[in-house]
Amino acid sequence: MVKKKQATSGGAVQMSSSMAANADVDTIKSKKRRSTFTWYLFLLPSFLGILLFMVYPIVESFRLSFYQSNGTVETFIGLRNFQYVLTSATFWNTVWNTFFIGIFQILITIPLGFIFASLINSVRFGQNFFKVVYFLPNVTSIVAAAMIFQFVLHPEMGVANYALDALGLPTSTWFSDPTTSKWGVILLSVWHWIGFVVIICLANLQAISPEMYEAARIDGASSIQQWLFITIPNMSGTFAFLLITGWIGSLQRFNEIYVLGGPSGSPARSIQTMGAFIYERGFTGFEFGIASAATYIMFVIILIFTFFNLKISKMKL
Amino acid sequence: MFSKQTFRTLLFLLVMGIAIAGCSNTDGNSDAGDNQNTDSEWAGQTLRVHLIGDFDMEDATDPITGETTEGLYVLKEEFENQHPGATVQFITMPWEGYTEKTQAMITSGEADVYQMPGIADFAPQGVLEPLQSYIDEDPEFDPEVFIDNQIEGWQVLGPDSDELQTYGLPFQGDARFIAYDKQIFDDWGVEYLSDHPTMEEVMEKAEQMTGENPVTGKQNYGVWFRGDFNSAFPLINLAEGQNGRWGTGFAWDEIEFEFNSPEMITGLEWLLDVQEYAPSGITSNQGNERWLTEENDIAIMLHQSPGEIVKAAMVQGIDDKIGIAQEFKNDEGLGGMLAGSPIAISADSDHKDLAWEWLKFATSDFAQQYVYENLGSMPVIKAASEWDSYAEVEHLLDPMLEAMSTPWTPRYPWGASQPRYILTSEVEAALTGSRSAEEALDKAQQESTEWLENRN
Repeated sequence: MVKKKQATSGGAVQMSSSMAANADVDTIKSKKRRSTFTWYLFLLPSFLGILLFMVYPIVESFRLSFYQSNGTVETFIGLRNFQYVLTSATFWNTVWNTFFIGIFQILITIPLGFIFASLINSVRFGQNFFKVVYFLPNVTSIVAAAMIFQFVLHPEMGVANYALDALGLPTSTWFSDPTTSKWGVILLSVWHWIGFVVIICLANLQAISPEMYEAARIDGASSIQQWLFITIPNMSGTFAFLLITGWIGSLQRFNEIYVLGGPSGSPARSIQTMGAFIYERGFTGFEFGIASAATYIMFVIILIFTFFNLKISKMKL
Repeated sequence: MFSKQTFRTLLFLLVMGIAIAGCSNTDGNSDAGDNQNTDSEWAGQTLRVHLIGDFDMEDATDPITGETTEGLYVLKEEFENQHPGATVQFITMPWEGYTEKTQAMITSGEADVYQMPGIADFAPQGVLEPLQSYIDEDPEFDPEVFIDNQIEGWQVLGPDSDELQTYGLPFQGDARFIAYDKQIFDDWGVEYLSDHPTMEEVMEKAEQMTGENPVTGKQNYGVWFRGDFNSAFPLINLAEGQNGRWGTGFAWDEIEFEFNSPEMITGLEWLLDVQEYAPSGITSNQGNERWLTEENDIAIMLHQSPGEIVKAAMVQGIDDKIGIAQEFKNDEGLGGMLAGSPIAISADSDHKDLAWEWLKFATSDFAQQYVYENLGSMPVIKAASEWDSYAEVEHLLDPMLEAMSTPWTPRYPWGASQPRYILTSEVEAALTGSRSAEEALDKAQQESTEWLENRN
């Protein structure tokens, strides 16, 4: 009897504990749901920010590209803005300038940065010191750096001309001459970007397995052979990354151009880039339709070149 | 992560915080309630005034003179005293990017009164209130108090009008003139520039003073002008000095450019010749670093403005060695760019009458003296010549005010639009030897005309 009672009460306990377990399962589920909801709530402000300050301007800019607009008065003109920009000699001059500066910046900075990184990687003492020294320009504001470069490349009082003169080389008027002004911008951008390239290359260099070099040494490979056949092939991913980010940055170049040559890229539009063209037409002349059309054309150009860069470098996103 | 209760508490605090911030008084001043005189005409009206430049609400130290400048509260208190019940709220912004910022403010109706250097671009949008009816109906307002040509100079076209109308009153004055260093003239034994020099006189004297200074032994340059961003305007002035002009018309569909007229070509050839006596770097705004210092090496500076000279010369005690001459004028005595800032009333303002009161106040003796003495802006009223602060630098300000009263009017309507940049780029191309003067101006004319056709 007692056993039966115990069995009965035992069954009740079992039942109630299984019910409690079911309730617990529900609680965990709902807790998880609430927790997920909480995180979505945290994401909401930044998501709203992205919607308001990125998605909306992108859509609005696309709409404006079909209008003649000064910000207040708008007239629908179809594809005329695109036609105007694509047939504008000034725009294609800015495309040329953008590519010229970008190509030489990349061609100079990536190999030079890699060489510097290899040298820093091979020194025994003071590695961190060199890393800091090379990276410092990259943390300097490009606006401040551009202002300083105006003095460095000053035609009469500049350090660069002083050094050239001391070496018996011909001096230059740098930013005052359309034939040399682009090289002034290239010098500035190389100086500013090289620290980043050095740090990224160093990170990759330090990740290459030392066993590979050891094996190569045992096989009798010289230092140059090790560099050529071990280091460089192992750096291909980093080079591809630098190539793509460098291209995108170069095609968007604006800040230093605005400081050095104003929105028109003086002298004689010799350093005006696509970004400066968009600013000049949009924000100094109230031609928002033309500026928007130029923005989308620039977007397509960047898209095409990034696609080719990915193909050439065989980088997978 | 959070308990239900903690989460609810945080959410409640967040909502309350937003609600309190959103419903709070946006006047930004604690004494707003002091002006709530319910019986007065202006009771409860808050006037939002937009200003561009180095304005500050509090007292500050002038970075050039080191003296204490009074904050905008001086204007606020005086206006509120004169208009019991009204409250003034200032919205200030720097000159950097003022055009797009002003456009954004106007689009969202942020102010009642705007400082508006680009009034010719804004009035046709229908966002500004025409002022003629206020001028006609207000017996207190006297347009004669303004320096000659200032009101006319700022007249622009409205959205539907064919004739120029007044949409703004002059507020901050500005002018363009030729400045020169008397010390360098003395060192070379060259006679000072005449008050109204000709192109030949400037060229001749610039040539005489280029080379090694006979007294100091240092290299001197006869002339300097900005050959980049602003180079279109000295060229237009050179054409005006020969009785030429930039073109005709004011509305975009009426404008006809004359950028390749014989006077413009002669003017650009003159600039190409005179740059022989300038330092390297004029096309990148370089080479004039020593100007307005004891070490100055430039004799004549073309196309200068008061803001660059008066304070800097006074504080260094070199104002006596600076001479001012007029830019090139036509046979009617007119020439040179009209510059400065008018103030205008927003078309969607709820307090237009109070805004008009502000316009009158801002152009009064009190406010103009404040702006001149604290910001160094040129006054726009004739009474300025009676101030003590004016008398201290009368020798500089007299010719500057003359320049303000004799500019080319109305203001160049293309001065902030694409034709300016087209012309500037072609002047730069000529100055850097990429094209001849004639080729450059033919190209500027063609591109500007095409731009105009596309716009219309």
